[in-house]
Amino acid sequence: MADQVYQVVSARTASDPAEGFSWRGAWHAPLTQAWLLLGPAMLIYAVFALYPMVDTFVLSFQTWNGLTPHRGFAGLDNYAFIFNDDPVFWLALRNTVIWTFLAVSIPPLIGFGLALAVNQQIPGRNAMRAIFYLPVILAPIAVATMWKWMYDPFFGLFNQLLTSAGLQGLIKDWLGDRQVALYSVFGAYVWQHVGFSMVLFLAGLQGVNQTLVEAARIDGANRYQVFQHVTLPAMSTSITIVLVLSLIQSLKAFDIVYGMTLGGPAQSTQMLALWAFTQSMQIHDFGRGSAVAVVLLLITLAIVVPYMLWRMKREEGQG
Amino acid sequence: MASVHIQNARKTFGDSTVLHDVSVDMDDGSFVVLVGPSGCGKSTLLRMIAGLETISGGDISIGGKSVNRLAPKDRDIAMVFQSYALYPQMTVAQNMGFSLELIGAKKPEIATKVEHAAKILGLEPLLSRYPRQLSGGQRQRVAMGRAIVRDPKVFLFDEPLSNLDAKLRVQMRAEIKALQKRLGTTTIYVTHDQIEAMTMADKIVVMRDGKVEQIGAPLDLYDRPANTFVASFIGSPSMNFIEGVVANDGKTFFAGAEKLGIPIPLCPAQAVGKAVLLGVRPEHIVIDREAGVPAEVWVVEPTGAETHLVVSLGGAQVTCVLKERISLQEGQTVPLAFDASLCHFFDPQTTLRLV
Repeated sequence: MADQVYQVVSARTASDPAEGFSWRGAWHAPLTQAWLLLGPAMLIYAVFALYPMVDTFVLSFQTWNGLTPHRGFAGLDNYAFIFNDDPVFWLALRNTVIWTFLAVSIPPLIGFGLALAVNQQIPGRNAMRAIFYLPVILAPIAVATMWKWMYDPFFGLFNQLLTSAGLQGLIKDWLGDRQVALYSVFGAYVWQHVGFSMVLFLAGLQGVNQTLVEAARIDGANRYQVFQHVTLPAMSTSITIVLVLSLIQSLKAFDIVYGMTLGGPAQSTQMLALWAFTQSMQIHDFGRGSAVAVVLLLITLAIVVPYMLWRMKREEGQG
Repeated sequence: MASVHIQNARKTFGDSTVLHDVSVDMDDGSFVVLVGPSGCGKSTLLRMIAGLETISGGDISIGGKSVNRLAPKDRDIAMVFQSYALYPQMTVAQNMGFSLELIGAKKPEIATKVEHAAKILGLEPLLSRYPRQLSGGQRQRVAMGRAIVRDPKVFLFDEPLSNLDAKLRVQMRAEIKALQKRLGTTTIYVTHDQIEAMTMADKIVVMRDGKVEQIGAPLDLYDRPANTFVASFIGSPSMNFIEGVVANDGKTFFAGAEKLGIPIPLCPAQAVGKAVLLGVRPEHIVIDREAGVPAEVWVVEPTGAETHLVVSLGGAQVTCVLKERISLQEGQTVPLAFDASLCHFFDPQTTLRLV
């Protein structure tokens, strides 16, 4: 009996579409399945990313203290203020530019070196890969706390080490000195992020065609030339991914700075993302805070989009 | 151009030995094919000649000079890989001229040599293209062009036609053979395809389990295989092996479990009165209505040009390739005969040829 029912249902499912609409057929349609699978992700993305993004853009043309229901229209006043009358904005922009430049060059370079090293047949390389990647999975606020202790001018690790090594002349108030605070915070950032670059580069290195390496060796290439003509071109996708992700991460640097210095001393570690937060959440001027956030978004897009287009064009050009 | 001599070459990976004291002499300008089933060590041997694998023991010399300790670039060889190994970011011309660029050759010289090689291979219209814009056959030609541009002492080919379709493979086979004759460069070619080996080689080295089974000219291996492995590997379809016993007078072979008597006027002295494996190539079996012995037809496979039959001869399965078109049904009996002068006798214990 059950077999008969099954046969009837199967026959209908497999039947000609001319027979009409069937719920079962519609449920199994690829389009329905696609929407069902994408739906939850799209909903979450819309509520937690798309809506805030649009609302931030709208807010940047309004005045709002975050408490009252009323939002006033401000036109371009918020932008005029941050560009003309807000010295901290320019300081934050300068710091963000320096930070971004360092973040897209130093951690990827160290990450590339580490990837090359742990890609060799050396004992304990799996353990080393895990150790170098470990900081990536730590919460930035935990990293900030840890490094704050290590930077402590009296009891911190670095000054203790310098004292033990007889290098008292190099002792500094790492997070309290305006000249070095930004770079001190960046040190912690590097420690946390090299593992991220390393893993992506390692994946790229493992995708390098060994036959091409051998062909190059037979063609007469030395180690550097093999690296230049085989390894680097094969890594171009990995390099693009690392650079773009490092750029985006560094432009929105917030938590580690917040956790270590709160932007101080004297705004010397202030960043655009942190300043957008401070304007909104602490000064309660959501309009200006949003204007800073929009500027940050535009800077990100202005760098990332042309770079991606250039890469795509270059890759297409190669066939 | 140079001769290549391999003396007791051995290769070990940890505890396992993948090449056991292989010795081969390759004459200047010859076309030598290393052939054997997967895992027989032929590619490893080629890679040792190229310098891509270290040599665990023995000696390899090119042009009379030991190359054991030389880097690949210093061995004056060029290699064509199965996957072509073209640099994806370089054009065809750049790929072909890369080795010259590395040794610091001047641009006009590189261009002249690249154009010369491109002309030989018909690659002139493709010089500014990238590898991804080429078909498999064109990429294969570029890989060969890259080798030609270097003007090396030895060409090494590692299964270069495996990724091509059957038709193109036949065409490229002829092209490589013609090219080698034209350039006269010593060539070592690895393949698992015995047809490629037979059609291209001056000398074939048949390998199995890291050992050389037989070295010789293609027709020598076909006519006088040293053992059952070589006999079955060379020739398609494979040689039939019929278990049986040779009569004490040496004139009859009793085949299979049914002890079917087959007359054999020519029998090697070592086989007389002994249990042997009688080797008969499928193409050496004919229908002979007068002198043939009865065989039951199991399968009939007409291919157009020939008819393949699988029959039971005294209980043993035998494949025949008949040149004529015949109408036969499974289960019928057909009288088969084979020229005794084209039969091979092997020792069933040692699998060696009996003479």
